[in-house]
Amino acid sequence: MMRPFRANCLAATLIAAFGLFFAAGCGDGSDHVNLPPGSSVLHIADVDDVPTLDPAAGYDTESWTFEQAIFDTLVRYGDDNIELEPDLAVRWESSPDARTFVFHLRHDARFSNGRPVTSDDVRYGIERVLDPATHSRGMEYYRNIAGSGDFAAHRAAHLRGIETPDPWTIIFHLDSPDPIFIHKLAMPFASAVPREAAEPWEDDFSRHAMGSGAFMLKEWLGGQRLVLVRNPYYFQKGLPRLDAIVDSLGVTPELQWLRYEAGDLDVVSSIPPAEFPFVMKTPRLRALTQKKTTVTTEYLGMNCQMWPFTDVRVRRAINYGINRAKLVALLNGRGVAATGVLPPNLPGFDPELKGYSYDPKHARELLEDARLASGFRFDLWMRADTTMLMLGQSIQQDLALIGLRVEIKPVAWGPFLEAIRQPRTVQAFLSGWEADFPDPQNFLSVLLSRDQWGSNNDTYFYDPSFQSLIDRASDETDFKLRYRLFDEAEKIVVADAPWAFLYYPVTYAITQPWVHDYVLNPMRPTRFERVAVSPH
Amino acid sequence: MLVFLVRRIVFGAAVLLGTSIITFLIAFVIPADPAVTMAGAKADPQTLATIRHQLDLDQPLYVQYARYLDRAVHGDLGRSYIRRESVTRLIASRFPATAVLALSAMAVSLVLGIAMGAVAAAYRGGATDNALLIFSLALVSMPVFWLGTMLLIAGGLYLRSFPLGGYSGPLSLVLPTLTLALGSAGYYSRVLHTNLAEEMDRDYVRTARGKGLSATSTMLKHAMANAMLPLVTLAGLDLAGLLSGVVLTETVFNWPGIGRLAFEAIFNLDIPLVMGTVLFSAFLIVVANLVVDLLYAWLDPRIRLSETV
Amino acid sequence: MNGRGFGKLEIAGAAMVLSLVIVAVFAPALAPHDPTRAVAATYGDPGAPSLAFPMGTDQLGRDVLSRIIYGARISLTVGVAAMAETIVIGVLIGLLSGFFGGSVDFLLMRFTDVMLTLPALLLAMAFVAILRPSLFSILLVIGLVSWTQVARVVRAETLSMSKRDFVLAARALGAPPARLITRHVLPNVLPIIIVMAALGTSSTLLLDAALSFLGLGVPPPTPTWGRMIEEATIYFRTAPWLAIFPGLAIFYAVLAFNLLGYGVLRARSR
Repeated sequence: MMRPFRANCLAATLIAAFGLFFAAGCGDGSDHVNLPPGSSVLHIADVDDVPTLDPAAGYDTESWTFEQAIFDTLVRYGDDNIELEPDLAVRWESSPDARTFVFHLRHDARFSNGRPVTSDDVRYGIERVLDPATHSRGMEYYRNIAGSGDFAAHRAAHLRGIETPDPWTIIFHLDSPDPIFIHKLAMPFASAVPREAAEPWEDDFSRHAMGSGAFMLKEWLGGQRLVLVRNPYYFQKGLPRLDAIVDSLGVTPELQWLRYEAGDLDVVSSIPPAEFPFVMKTPRLRALTQKKTTVTTEYLGMNCQMWPFTDVRVRRAINYGINRAKLVALLNGRGVAATGVLPPNLPGFDPELKGYSYDPKHARELLEDARLASGFRFDLWMRADTTMLMLGQSIQQDLALIGLRVEIKPVAWGPFLEAIRQPRTVQAFLSGWEADFPDPQNFLSVLLSRDQWGSNNDTYFYDPSFQSLIDRASDETDFKLRYRLFDEAEKIVVADAPWAFLYYPVTYAITQPWVHDYVLNPMRPTRFERVAVSPH
Repeated sequence: MLVFLVRRIVFGAAVLLGTSIITFLIAFVIPADPAVTMAGAKADPQTLATIRHQLDLDQPLYVQYARYLDRAVHGDLGRSYIRRESVTRLIASRFPATAVLALSAMAVSLVLGIAMGAVAAAYRGGATDNALLIFSLALVSMPVFWLGTMLLIAGGLYLRSFPLGGYSGPLSLVLPTLTLALGSAGYYSRVLHTNLAEEMDRDYVRTARGKGLSATSTMLKHAMANAMLPLVTLAGLDLAGLLSGVVLTETVFNWPGIGRLAFEAIFNLDIPLVMGTVLFSAFLIVVANLVVDLLYAWLDPRIRLSETV
Repeated sequence: MNGRGFGKLEIAGAAMVLSLVIVAVFAPALAPHDPTRAVAATYGDPGAPSLAFPMGTDQLGRDVLSRIIYGARISLTVGVAAMAETIVIGVLIGLLSGFFGGSVDFLLMRFTDVMLTLPALLLAMAFVAILRPSLFSILLVIGLVSWTQVARVVRAETLSMSKRDFVLAARALGAPPARLITRHVLPNVLPIIIVMAALGTSSTLLLDAALSFLGLGVPPPTPTWGRMIEEATIYFRTAPWLAIFPGLAIFYAVLAFNLLGYGVLRARSR
């Protein structure tokens, strides 16, 4: 009877092992954070883990939320607007030809290790982005700095186009005029980075991020929790007003909402769609919400080189055939029906522009004109994501009413980008564009210019008069004239309709009554320097 | 024994090598350019070209594979395109959450499954047996993600006794554990039932019963011990599967484990992370197979004799 | 052993499968509404079950009952077709391996080992993500990842079968392998194949539903039960019926095939 005995032993050992693992593993699961009693802490939550804290790498809302808190750039935007403000730089000058920019740094900024921030640190931050080994997504924004090619090819130790005559002055020389270059310096890519902290970690700087911002990284448990605490060396006296920020990771919007109701979360930036109508109907809750129309445009792109979208009447018919009010209703009102390419809140936005109304009858007439009265079928590509698919199905329902059969092609976003960038491959697709800088060029030139075919101009739109307008406007340093040229260009796009203009997303956030000065920014994540929490 | 051990290890390594080749081939038929994945939606062609060169993507496929394998053997599974972190470290950081869930689910499913299987076998052919059979089939037929959602609605929303997902202390473990354990419990009870039925019909049990032992105590003392071995083997292999991440349950409960990591990786087509999680999972299964084989050989010397001949 | 219970099991399973087939075939006649059209103008606000819509309406104003009825079509198609594919691949590899033995067996079984080592769901997800979700790609992928068990079982059965006297005798008489397999081996492994087919369909249904739930199912507007649950997750606090009913449908279908499979298995082992 040896066998049964051994088998029992085995079972007993396994069960004992379970118990041990169970006991050991549960320890890290708790939400307890070691902070001094009486600390003022802001509790927030995110659905997913934060992708990265390395300012050269991050290019998404979650990463930027915390990069903005940990790092400083020369200039930044206001808390609730997209006006440039001093950050590390106290003042700056630019040459009339928009090719030389001089910044004067403040003397009292320090990294969280106590070392003063100098112009070398700003240069190092940008050089990290331009070094191919970093694989940075921000490379293209700084490539027009003189000598970037030599630097990237390791033919030069430093960028020729950045001068640091003294620790408090930095001068940029560009290869070509760039009236919006200063905005590129307000992106977290251009953060001041302490070389002594970044170099030893190489790619793992993300886990050990250190900058001169109001906060510093204390703890980051992958997928569970991110904790920032105040940087004692932060240059703004009296700021930050919080001692710490605790971000719980992997918390669904539904759970965030319940935790908010229980008072465990101070801010919820994504109210679950199902709860949203209730919040809006409850005056107490409604008073605690705030909203901001983002500088983002959601659209349905139509490939102007592919039948039947080669015909402008068909493209207009699609525009008339989509019920934007229904899309906005499906988003629980968190959107504004789009009238054109440029979103409201973007300088250069034209409030007079009428866009397309929902008019299925007119849509059918246009199709008849185009000899397509019997309809046609086409593929509509989109990212495989719940909201996208819901909107896609709504459009599918709408267009069925004017006789069109829409085949939805949901794909992962890598293949999605790959496919739409191929010429004559994708007939139509759902996409959106979020502004990187507050300037019409970021939409009209980046998304619709001839030289962006195969890159960001995925509708393969081309119109000679449009092209000459945006080419002129891009280098224009007189902003009034610049906006007027872009406005004329936008009108051509709306009439030619390479896109069906869908909606401008609106974000909502709800805060507890004890949270102060938490404000939404139309383009960037909320900044935490001024946020305060009163005892509750 | 040593020859047997070496044989098994070489064998496991060969399977892993095959797995790595298949994973690598899959990764390279992906119609997405890794440079696009890495550089993001807004990158210009020049950025893409730079990254492509940096990632050795301009090298022939076999060179890329050789380099990958060389690094993998040294424990380096590359870097995630999206997160820019070491894949090995990402997996290690998510492993504890998955391990806790896998072990507790395994414990619960074994306890439940063994109890149900033993009771059903004790009342073989009776109404209890049939009821338990149908019940266990019902458990097996339940889609895991739906069961999880229902438990969330019932336990989290209506009873408000459990957290609605996330990984925060023992209470948050209850619903995901049940979600995972119920289905396997149904399965294990069927397996145990079948094994017990076979054992009970064997001579030694008949002899024991002939000597006047009651049916139940015979079953418990003798048949159970023998019927448990295949079950524990099965559970061992299942555990390896669970430890490599439980995609559906972790997705429903937002559990920060390897399954969610793999899910995100596939959706972003973050190739190094996809390959890393798949290889890690294969590694665990190979190791579990090895352990089970060795245990069997230790318990039953005939196996290793027949192998070495 | 008492045999009556098993008979009931098979009959119940068969009846449930039959009811599914009827629902799928006659979906247009049975469904009260078009499953893709909005019948209630409650966008973004699902309607509760009522007399007009016994299972409620979803966020796009569609009738949930009609969607579940039509969902039976895609589920059964995928379930049965992918199962057939699994069986064909598995039986082919198992028969070849078991019958020929030697290096054929070695190579095929090592390949099977490798496939068994790979995590099926992850592999299926990766494949569908690469190939893009469509009925075709889902069928292909489910078949590719689930044949291994069938191959192993068929190989074992074939192995024992081809050592039997009558097969050995036929072999000695110089019967060609193809004839031996089709005439002697295949008929004898058929019962186990039938059991595996029924059980295989149930696991295929679950895998298909899981892929759908993960957003990798047959693209909309084709209603699939898995996707319905996925779409319902954001409403589960305010509109739980959106998740409950499609889940029950999957449960019913999977249980039907499991009852059938276990019933036949137990009847055979008796």
